[in-house]
Amino acid sequence: MKGTVVETPNQLYERSEQSAWQLRRRRRLKQNIPLFIMLLPVIAYYILFKYWPMGGLVIAFKNYNFGDGILHSPWVGLKNFKLLFSSSNTLQIIWNTFWLSFLNLIFGFPMPILLAILLNEVRKSWFKRWVQTILYLPHFFSWVIVSGLVLSLFATDYGSINKVLALFHIEPINFLYESHSWLAIFVGSGIWKEMGFSTIIYLAALTTIDPSLYESAAMDGATKLRQMWHVTLPGIRHTIILLLILAMGKIMEVGFDQVYNLQNAGVSDVSEVISTYIYKIGLGSSQFSLSTAMGFFESVISCSLVLLANRIAKKFDQALF
Amino acid sequence: MKATNGEKIFYAINYLILAIIALTCVLPFIHIIALSFSERSAVDSGHVFFWPVGLQFTAYKIFFIASPALSAFKNSILITLVGVGLSLLGTILAAYPLSRSYLMGRRYLVMGMVFTMLFSGGLIPTYLVIKNMHLIDSYWALWLSGFISTYNMLLMKSYFENIPYEVQEAARIDGCSDTSLLIRIILPLSLPMLATLALFYGIGFWNSFMSVLMYINKSEMMNLTVVVQGMLSKNDLLNSPSLNLEEQATVATEMVKAVGVVIMVVPMLVVYPFLQKYFVKGVMLGSVKG
Repeated sequence: MKGTVVETPNQLYERSEQSAWQLRRRRRLKQNIPLFIMLLPVIAYYILFKYWPMGGLVIAFKNYNFGDGILHSPWVGLKNFKLLFSSSNTLQIIWNTFWLSFLNLIFGFPMPILLAILLNEVRKSWFKRWVQTILYLPHFFSWVIVSGLVLSLFATDYGSINKVLALFHIEPINFLYESHSWLAIFVGSGIWKEMGFSTIIYLAALTTIDPSLYESAAMDGATKLRQMWHVTLPGIRHTIILLLILAMGKIMEVGFDQVYNLQNAGVSDVSEVISTYIYKIGLGSSQFSLSTAMGFFESVISCSLVLLANRIAKKFDQALF
Repeated sequence: MKATNGEKIFYAINYLILAIIALTCVLPFIHIIALSFSERSAVDSGHVFFWPVGLQFTAYKIFFIASPALSAFKNSILITLVGVGLSLLGTILAAYPLSRSYLMGRRYLVMGMVFTMLFSGGLIPTYLVIKNMHLIDSYWALWLSGFISTYNMLLMKSYFENIPYEVQEAARIDGCSDTSLLIRIILPLSLPMLATLALFYGIGFWNSFMSVLMYINKSEMMNLTVVVQGMLSKNDLLNSPSLNLEEQATVATEMVKAVGVVIMVVPMLVVYPFLQKYFVKGVMLGSVKG
């Protein structure tokens, strides 16, 4: 048999399928052009301002100087890291970072849960609305404002608390210059600023609890407190676990603004953290390579912590990505 | 069901606790506002609580004479308005294409962006990039470093994805291109989300502190946050030669500091009530799935 190749119906169908696929692909490409034009500035932004600095991390392994620039400064291997981990000063700073955010976590974490549960029990909607509006507000204030408030309350010479104490002839107390009271003020101001805003997620979770559970609990004679314990808390358990895991992933991060605005020379042994240290020795005394090494260490640790936290979250079916 | 006695007590205590917590969030402000309007003798003796004693405005006058607050106020407004405009534009430009299911390589683009939330070059390398671009002492350093927040972008993207497909399909059949679909259909439907993100970006730019410390060296370009922070850490605010001695004597340093805090808070209090009703929805959208 020779001559023309006769296509079976099946082959014909396949060919038309193929060209339809090509047509669809061509149409899809055409559809994508305006999208990519839109994305162009966005991609450029991410490359220039997010990925290029990651390349700049090489100066952690170099002895960076302005004359030679990033590319031509001499390599020094791990010298900067060795310097960091051999100095008791920097070890103290790493410890402070961990300790401050740990304190923030254990005291700050339960507060929004408690508040959300209390808010959830409010039956007068105007009251609930007002309280929520007020509680969300501090989240939007900068740490400069909060530190202004802290000063006006706790300052030794003009703080309101000391002035009230003076009315009772009590000697002024250096709240901001003693490590213990400073730590309490640090953690307290963090809770004060964020507790309201963090309730939003828990309140959302609380709306998913079936109201009939409360009714049947009440039928069985459960008091309000018992209902909270046996219905409310288990109802938001998943949210609590997820947020706790996420918070643990961020344990190496304690915000620059909070520490920088609240710290003073008197408590530097407990208040100096990685971010403030990088700012001071990096930009203050131009030790770019050393401070980049510190930042690199922090980035790697916190990135691995988030990934680890996410892996744990997966075990509870709550993974983020 | 009628409330039992136990429940009545519970509700009473609950309302009381919440009222007290809410008060702790507003009383410090009322106190500091009262301080800024009071007369010195009352402030010094600690008799000002939540109501100004001997109303006077000298602290405000001195605040604006002794510090570069007026120009800092203008700078803050400029930084915030332009910043919010650029950031919203950037976020929309990123979120719209990424919300289209037919975008090629969508998964990888999103992954590339999410990665920057986990890992970053850090302070010094970012500073060097900004410096190499000659953006030091330019507000572009602030606007560009806060251009797109990946988290906000993801919020916007999922909002776009939840807009009913039928509406968009109808617009397509009527001959809408991507741009007109975005401008005439999707953005008008996304006003609550846009308001939420405008609030988030706006607060971010208004409060910007570290980036100003890093990238802006010229004192006349500083924003209000940095100027007020400088005043809070100083103890000789009243030693400016341009001040009237008589007026200086009527004001205490802490009163001028109080003015700084009040000036920073007031613009926010003006905007907050209008945007407040939107952001709760926005935050919940990004929060945990039921």
